[in-house]
Amino acid sequence: MNKDKITVGRVVSVVLLFLGALIMILPFLWMLSTSLKPTTQILDWPPKLIPETFTIQHYFTVFQTVPFGRFFINSICMSTLSTVVILLTSVLAGYVFAKFSFPGKKFLFMAILATAMVPFETYMIPLYLSMVKFHWVNTFMGLVAPYLVMSYGIFFMRQNIKSTIPNELMDAARIDGLGEFGIFYKVVLPLMTGSAGALAIFAFMQTWAAFIWPLIITSSKELWTTELGLGMFQFRFSVDMGPINAGSIISIFPVLLVFLFFRRNIMSSMTLSGMKD
Amino acid sequence: MRKKLLVVLLVLVAVMMFAFANGQDENKKEELSIWTGYPEMEPFYQHVAEQFNETHPNVKITIVSHPLREFEQKLSATIPADTVGDIIEISTYSVKKFIDAGMIPENPDNVVDFMTTPDRFSDFVLSACHYGDKYYGLPLFLGRTALFYNKDMFKAAGIENPPTTFDEMYEDAKKLAKYDDNNKLTVSGHSLRLSGSGSGLGEKFWFVLFPMGGTILEEGATEGTYHAGYNNDAGFNAVRYYLDAVHKDKWDSPEIKHDAEAFELGLTAMFFRESWVIGDAAQKVPDLNYGTAFVPSAARWGRITNLENLYVTRACENPELAWEFAELCLSPENQTWMLDNIGWLPSRTDVDFSESIAKTPQLAAFIDSPEGYDEFGYIPISCFDEILTKFSERLSAAYLNAKLDTDDAALRKWLDDAAKETNEILEKAGMFGE
Amino acid sequence: MRNNNSLGSSNWLENFFLSRGVSRNKLKQYIFAYVSIVPIFAIYLILRILPIVRNFIYSFFRAEIGNPTAHFIGFQNFIDLFRDQLFLLSLKNTTIFALLVTVFSVAISLAVALALSRKTKYGPFMETIYFLPVITPMVPVAVVWKWIYDPTYGLLNYILSFFNIDSVAWLVYPKTALAAIIIMSIWKVVGYNMIILLVGIRDIPEIYIEAAQIDGASRTQVLRRIIMPLLRPIMLFVFVISTINSYNVFTQVFIMTTGSQGAPAGAVRTLVYDIYENGFRYFKTGYAASEAIVLFLIILALTVFQFRVSKEED
Repeated sequence: MNKDKITVGRVVSVVLLFLGALIMILPFLWMLSTSLKPTTQILDWPPKLIPETFTIQHYFTVFQTVPFGRFFINSICMSTLSTVVILLTSVLAGYVFAKFSFPGKKFLFMAILATAMVPFETYMIPLYLSMVKFHWVNTFMGLVAPYLVMSYGIFFMRQNIKSTIPNELMDAARIDGLGEFGIFYKVVLPLMTGSAGALAIFAFMQTWAAFIWPLIITSSKELWTTELGLGMFQFRFSVDMGPINAGSIISIFPVLLVFLFFRRNIMSSMTLSGMKD
Repeated sequence: MRKKLLVVLLVLVAVMMFAFANGQDENKKEELSIWTGYPEMEPFYQHVAEQFNETHPNVKITIVSHPLREFEQKLSATIPADTVGDIIEISTYSVKKFIDAGMIPENPDNVVDFMTTPDRFSDFVLSACHYGDKYYGLPLFLGRTALFYNKDMFKAAGIENPPTTFDEMYEDAKKLAKYDDNNKLTVSGHSLRLSGSGSGLGEKFWFVLFPMGGTILEEGATEGTYHAGYNNDAGFNAVRYYLDAVHKDKWDSPEIKHDAEAFELGLTAMFFRESWVIGDAAQKVPDLNYGTAFVPSAARWGRITNLENLYVTRACENPELAWEFAELCLSPENQTWMLDNIGWLPSRTDVDFSESIAKTPQLAAFIDSPEGYDEFGYIPISCFDEILTKFSERLSAAYLNAKLDTDDAALRKWLDDAAKETNEILEKAGMFGE
Repeated sequence: MRNNNSLGSSNWLENFFLSRGVSRNKLKQYIFAYVSIVPIFAIYLILRILPIVRNFIYSFFRAEIGNPTAHFIGFQNFIDLFRDQLFLLSLKNTTIFALLVTVFSVAISLAVALALSRKTKYGPFMETIYFLPVITPMVPVAVVWKWIYDPTYGLLNYILSFFNIDSVAWLVYPKTALAAIIIMSIWKVVGYNMIILLVGIRDIPEIYIEAAQIDGASRTQVLRRIIMPLLRPIMLFVFVISTINSYNVFTQVFIMTTGSQGAPAGAVRTLVYDIYENGFRYFKTGYAASEAIVLFLIILALTVFQFRVSKEED
């Protein structure tokens, strides 16, 4: 029966969901609160969630102390380029690995997946030395290079394509005379907008949060990203809490916007009306 | 879908244009870049840069600061690749490995003359720059420790003056500690460093170990060899000092806040720290009524001195210009400016800082060097950090172990085990010697 | 038949495959596959594989500054590694961490994803909220959690006091410190897994579910018989990347243990932290590289195992 049933289970799960949400949002609320507190109140212990007096001074400090606007633009460009290239490479490669067999396939896939298993910090220096050879040190290309591919991306698209696209669909398209690239463009891509949207979010987020690589590859502040800029408020032994939280709030917004933008995408691809009780 | 694709492509094009626009060279001026691991030093270098540009208007000076932990990673990538900045500001300790690998050029003669002018730098500071018969780096500022104490709390407890010996400090701490109704500590008498990763914990322990007569590494019989310097009565007493504080008289506890944060919140009456606390407190708790004093003495008297030096790198194309800038950073006027505006201690001893001290009396305990007040510091050998870090980890576990406070034999064994590890590390590096 | 050769491949190549019994169709597929994969693989080669291999080679040497291949020492690094107490401790800690974080975070995010898979008014809002921890930078996260775990004023102890449980000094004592960081890590990653699972759930064609419901299946039956099996590839993905990411944990451990309020370093020491210390603090490049290889092999083994268990057909 497709009526809305209010079961005990349902109520409990909703309550838990909201409780969970409360825990999830707590640091964000604290960040917001700290960014609006005058420095003398930040150290209050136990901390008060709602500031006694409000100030937006820290937001100005962020832009005055460092060229935050420039950092922001750098981050946007870097993350956007990275997301686009990752989407292109991941969807295509994911599709190939999901639906085709050819000699060497298993090896290639495992090799690519294996690169995800090695933490970046371990091969960062040899990569840097390659950048030196290419004369890409302190350039935009050098900055964005490691973020042009994402092993998880290929893996993610492969799994999603496996579970969404039946082989029969492709065979039918082949019988209809569509070439392989045609199938990819006309049949596969439209069906994968949901997962591609999710991938876009993840790729953007990951590149946005990059810290150690931008730090190493840049020698001048012109190329810095917002994360690096935030690091400027972390001194040797203390942290300037006000500006760092103000800067963090500012820097969360692009990622949040990307999330909201692509979320609608995910939602609209398939609505689960059949799931209502 | 189409529209989105178009937008994305447009963005892509814009981005690529941006990318290539960035790769162009500006009109060639002479350039000097300075890299530092202390973001708070940026205003200082900008101040010096302005002065420098008065006499050298064609030189473009770039200052890049980094968070310290990542700075070391960056240097380890860029120094060998010669993509590092022209001048780097870094501790004598961290730079040693690069010097050993021959990647840092020695100081030119004029700089050596500047440094060895009598009374300009203390013997300890000079010796830290001296390897073999060569000098490396120009000392810019120092990190020293002093005792911070809360004057209001002292008055309330009826204590007139800050302690001058460790025994006094122990007794004072007992009086200053406060407890709640359940006998839980709410305010520590003195905030010891009881937890945290890295070598900081061991370093703070050294503040107590040294006055008690011990040290982390002692020199061995042959030159260039060392062995653990804490496996003795001094080490025993120092660890006991901590253990008694936490377990016997309970004037400190790992469960409450520590360090500058605690001091600024009024959750502790005293602690040891460097001069940066002065600036920090002025910003966050300007009404705090506190003073500073020399580190107390025990069997001997001394405090740690860490040097931050300026080095001109191999990658620099204009070493003469770079050294000129470095020396300008050390002008009396700039040393005073740094002290007044940043809070790090100047390295020169031949400049009169009495005006600054008058403005900020808490600086006296850092800058003054009375007779008999020794300096000690990190030994610039490659494995020192490893030794201190691993020792710190053992210490942090030991502090939680109440048994070590009563069982003498167990504590002696603990010291033996720790020393064994230290000596093994030295052996592996080929530097062990009784 | 000649006209079917839409891609204009050379006759020689065509004949090569045709003579081996590969149909023309198959050939077109091979070509598409290679043309797509090879450039992408080339990028991987330069940006990932070659640097990783270079680093792995370093593990057979003892390094000097600027010269990672100074002294060839064969397997000595690996031998030393397995005698190293800190490495073994890191291995133990990381394994416990990875196991608990993976299992709990996947379970919780699955529950949340299922709860949010219906169309509700609060759905989008909830998704955003659950995603916030994922995008919040580590510095503010660490500060808030250090407060939550504070022995005297912390939120957690405050809540526990309602259940008459004594205050715990979470980050102070080794036993609780690891648990504390595990809880925080689960919290940070739930939103990430949730999005992935939500996408997976929503991609399931409604037809299957509607058909089952017309046949009278209850909600749990729909869950078990339709959704879970179809979700298999996604579940595999979530488990694998959860494992990989947990084994590679670093940032939160670093931040939660630094400073004077830090957790006892030994108790929460993880493998990447150990590698970082060996590589960047002590500059033992070769030794750190050998550790990285061991870490990689462990993760590889677990991944292959998970692929096997999910019975992925290729």
